[in-house]
This record gives sequence, structure tokens and C-alpha cells, in this order.
Amino acid sequence: MSATDVSPFSPPGVDFTGVSDALIKVRVILSSIWLGGLAVVGAVIAVLTKAAWVWAFPAVLVAFLLWALWLIPRQVRAIGYAERDDDLLIRKGILLRSMVVVPYGRMQYVDVNAGPIARSVGIASLQMHTASASTDASIPGLPAAEAARLRDQLASRGESRRSGL
Amino acid sequence: MSTGPVGEVAPSGTVTEDGLEWRRMHPVTPVIRSWKAFAGIIAIGAWRFTDDFSTTRDFVADGGWRFVLAGVGVVVLVAAVYSALAWRVTRFAVGEEAVHLNSGIVFRQQRQARLDRLQSVDVVRPLLARLAGLSQLTLEVAGAVDSKVELAFLKDEEAVALRAELLAKAAGVRRAAPAGLTAEGGPTADAVAIVPEPVEEAPERTVIEVPVRRLIGSIALSGVAVAAVLVILGLLGTLVLTFTGRVDLTDVVSGNLVVLVPAVLGVASVAWSRFSGGYGFRAAISPDGIRLSRGLLETRAQTIAPGRIQAIELTQPLLWRKAGWWRVRMNVAGYGMATEEASTTLLPVGDVDETLLACWLVLPDLGTEDAVGALTAAMTGSGEAAGFTLISRRVRFLSPLVYRRNGFLVTERALVLRHGRLRRVVQIVPHERTQSLGLDQGVLARALKVAHFTLHSVAGPVRPAIQDLDLDVAHRLMQDQAARARQARALDRPERWMER
Repeated sequence: MSATDVSPFSPPGVDFTGVSDALIKVRVILSSIWLGGLAVVGAVIAVLTKAAWVWAFPAVLVAFLLWALWLIPRQVRAIGYAERDDDLLIRKGILLRSMVVVPYGRMQYVDVNAGPIARSVGIASLQMHTASASTDASIPGLPAAEAARLRDQLASRGESRRSGL
Repeated sequence: MSTGPVGEVAPSGTVTEDGLEWRRMHPVTPVIRSWKAFAGIIAIGAWRFTDDFSTTRDFVADGGWRFVLAGVGVVVLVAAVYSALAWRVTRFAVGEEAVHLNSGIVFRQQRQARLDRLQSVDVVRPLLARLAGLSQLTLEVAGAVDSKVELAFLKDEEAVALRAELLAKAAGVRRAAPAGLTAEGGPTADAVAIVPEPVEEAPERTVIEVPVRRLIGSIALSGVAVAAVLVILGLLGTLVLTFTGRVDLTDVVSGNLVVLVPAVLGVASVAWSRFSGGYGFRAAISPDGIRLSRGLLETRAQTIAPGRIQAIELTQPLLWRKAGWWRVRMNVAGYGMATEEASTTLLPVGDVDETLLACWLVLPDLGTEDAVGALTAAMTGSGEAAGFTLISRRVRFLSPLVYRRNGFLVTERALVLRHGRLRRVVQIVPHERTQSLGLDQGVLARALKVAHFTLHSVAGPVRPAIQDLDLDVAHRLMQDQAARARQARALDRPERWMER
């Protein structure tokens, strides 16, 4: 059976571009703030209550944090996108893999977002919207210049291939 | 802006410099609107007071009802004044390119709906408006949230004439020159001469009618009926227990009835809304689109412009199989999920022939030589007959019932997805209506070397997807579907469907 030869997630002849490694930094910082912060709160409560079992909460949170720290770089490196002649491919995930194909002509508008931490390392995330709410076409962690280039590119391609709904 | 005397209303409104003739809604509108407030209060009050009879009795005996009456009076008065003010500031105009609606007392809103984006025009007649001979015209343009323009209320004839005019303009049937009105604001002589006013309504031909008997049958063979049977059994059980003396009557009244009464009401209201919503269903075809009309008390006449149906889904619940009935639902941009079920139903219940006809209304050319054969295979068939590709054999131990049934068929014009052994489902998406494609794979799917395919359509009841495809099949479907959707878009008819 030829099923094993082709992976639909890496179509032949399509080169996926990875996203910036700075996204790893941003995600690590964010999850450290959240999980680490909660772990500290948990530890403080544990110290105050002097009950041994309360330490389970910060311990679990730290375990989550360590897992996240291990996962994030792998996750970020799994994100890729490819501009084809008529559509954009976005690929994500290691265990739960997904790919989405968005035709340029179907694009209604493009959003580029950057939070404070992302801005400080010069990355932004780009999201395309079609008439379908279920289209999940976002590329996180694009270098700011690339995000701007892609946005303009998508807008102009969308314009030239525009058709109704 | 001049407001003019209250008595002076549409269609002879003011004409502004840009050549727009502004019209008002019918002056009875505020009465109908404030009636809604009154009915609402009565309904809430009835609900609250029937909850507990004893306090209500005391309340009435105390003379508290006078305050309630006064309260209701005040609320209705406020609603009436508000509606009257709202009516005074609400105006609409139909331009060559767009419909304009100005409304709002405190926060003024000016909305323009582009006619080339028109998806559907609905003429809705709620009971009271119907008695008064008035209609509400709802225009749907494809926007993300709340993109509709509601013109409420207009005289029946006016609403129908306006619908014809809007559809003609949306179709690109031009009246004389776009500047049919001179800068001074009066219509030029030649514009009037060329265009017969009002625009004639496109002729329609009825193709499907659902008899009342079948509608009742379809409700009787549905989950609602099953629930009704359960409720009746519950009532009977209670009665038996009461009469055999095992349960005290007061316990029954206070305990059991509290549960059963809302259950009865719930079942009855669902059954009623299905019945009144599907009553007198009629589908017709006309050059300006598909016309659907239905309703017992509140009637709804929808006109969906050609090519605006994004996807359809045929379903046959298990109980309907013996009768051979199907329900057809559709995705139309702007209708979304929020609006009531009625407006996204293309056919509430139909036999096989009518179901095929409904498919034909949406897709006159399915893109195969034997469209009926392909659709029959999709509706009732299994296996690879008629060119279907099945889901992976490797999942048959997980889904023994459906692995010969679930599959897809790609034709020149559409993607047909087939699911379900007990509850049969067929989803059809024209290639040119594909928004985007998705493919995903979880841990188990990866171990089984399968992937799940999703086709993203606009918001609506149809969510086309197929699980557990072989990897090479999924790959080919993904690549080919992208290419086919692109080609189909290039050949798609223009948004103004009478042009070209």
C-alpha cells in the first residue's frame, strides 16, 4: 500500500517556512509567568498553612511548567507555512497535527497582532479570515517585517483573485 | 433633514442631494412594536404567577393587582413613546448600489448594505403585523455578525414590490442610467419612461409543497414525539400510583407535577414551533433565486439569490427511514446559527423525489453523468458504487457499522460526503463555495495512519467533514480539492447574476 509514502501533512514540492525562534522565548516567558506565578502563590500558601499535602499544588504546577518548557520549542518548530500560487498552507502540531489550506481569493481580511512581549522581541502573529468562522488560519511568531510583507502580499493576492462568497 | 408631518409617509418621502429617495416605515409600526412589549410583560407575569397559586391569590385579594396594572401601563406607555420616537427617526432609501437605513434615537446608526453582496431577502409577517396587512423585509448581506437590514414594517404590497426591486438591482438589471435622478432631486423624464415602475416581480414556479399530513407525521416520528411518549408514561405512572394509594395525592401535586408540567409545556412548544414553522411549506424557483415560504401564524417568505447557498445537508433520522423522508438544511452566509432553525431549512420533510429536487435547486448540474444515481448512492447506498471513496479499512474495528458507508464522492461541480448507518447524512458543497480546507490527525489517527478532513463553510447548520481517511486519499483530496475550488471560482457566475 502506498499510504505510507505520502504524508498529507508534507505535500511533495511544497517547502514550508518555519517561524521565528523568538516565539519560543515569548511562549516560555508567558508560561513561566502564569504557571511559575501560580506555583509561587501555591508555595506561599503551603508555607503559611504548614500542611504538607498543600505542596502538591505547586509541585503539579512546576511539573506542568517543566513539561511546557520541554514542549514549547518542539511545538514552535513544528509550525510552518507555505505560500503557493493560489493558496497559503499552514501546518501545526506534533502529536495533534493539523494543516489548513486557505485560498487567497477566499480571504476577507488579515489581522496582524503583537502583544507587549512579542513586540519586545520583534515578532507578530498573523491571522487570515475567510467568510467561514471555522477557518483557523493563524501564523504566530512571524518576524515583524515578514508579517508586514505577508500581510501586504496576501491582501494584494486576495484582491486579484477575489470572487464572491 | 426635514421630518415632515407625521401623516406623510412612504413612498413619497424626501429626496436628498445624492438622489436617494428617503422613505419611512408604516405609521402603525410603533403600535405593533409596543404590543410586543405588552405581550412580553404578560408572558413573564403569567409565568411568575402561575408558579405559585397561593401567593397569587393573596396578592389579588390584597388589591396588589392595581399596582401591577399601573406598572404594566407605564411600561407599555414607555415602550409606545420609544417606538414612536424610533419610528420618527427611522428612514430608509434604496440606491443603485446599496440600501441605506438610518435609525436610532440616542445612538444614530446609518447602515449601508451593498446590493451586490445581497444573499437573501425575507418577507416576514408576524401574526399581528399580518392582521394589519404589514410585513417586515429582512435583507441579508454577507457580514460576520448582525449584518442584516430589517425594514419593519411596510405595507404588504410595498414590501413585495421592494423585494422585487432589490433583487432586480442585485441581479444587475439596470434601470436606465445609474443617475436616473437629476441633481435637483426630481426624476428625469427619460428614466421614468424607460423603467416601468414598480419593477415587475420575477415569475416563480412552485416545485415542492409539503402536505400538512406529512408534516404532522414527521413530527410524530421524531425525538419530540419520543419525549412526548415519555412524558405521557410519566403522567400515567403517577396516576396509577395515586389511585393504587401508594402515593399521597398532595405529594403528587407538589412534587411530580412541578416536573411534569414544564416537560409537557416544553414538548408541546417544540412540537408546535416545528408545526407552525413548517406549515404550508412551499419551494419555488424563479430567475431571482429560490423562493421558500412557510408558516402558520407568522409567515416567512425567503428569496435566496442564485448561487448563495453555500452547502446543503440531507438527513434521515432512523424513524423516518420507513417513510423514506429526508430533511434538507442549508448554509447561507449571514443566516448563521443564531437565527431560528426555520430560516436555514431548505426542506422540512420531503420524500426522495422532492429531496432530489431540492438538491437540483441548489446544484442544477451535479457534474456527473448520472446525478440521480450518484445522489441515490449517497443517500441510501454503501460501498464504492457510483464512484465513492470509502474511509480507511484500518478503522473498521472502531466503526464497524459505518466503514462501508462513510465516504466521499468528488464530481465536476461538488464534493459529496456520506455518513451514518442509522441516521443517514449527506453533505454537498459546490466547489466554488469552498472557503478553506483543513486536515488534522490525533495520536490514535496517526497510529492508524488516517487523517480527518474538514471543509470550512460559512456559519450554519452544515459542517462538512469526514473522518478517518487513508493518508494518501486525504492527501489527494486536499490537493485536488484546492485545485478544483480554484477552477470553479474562476468560472463562477458574477455576484450580479443577470450580468454576463
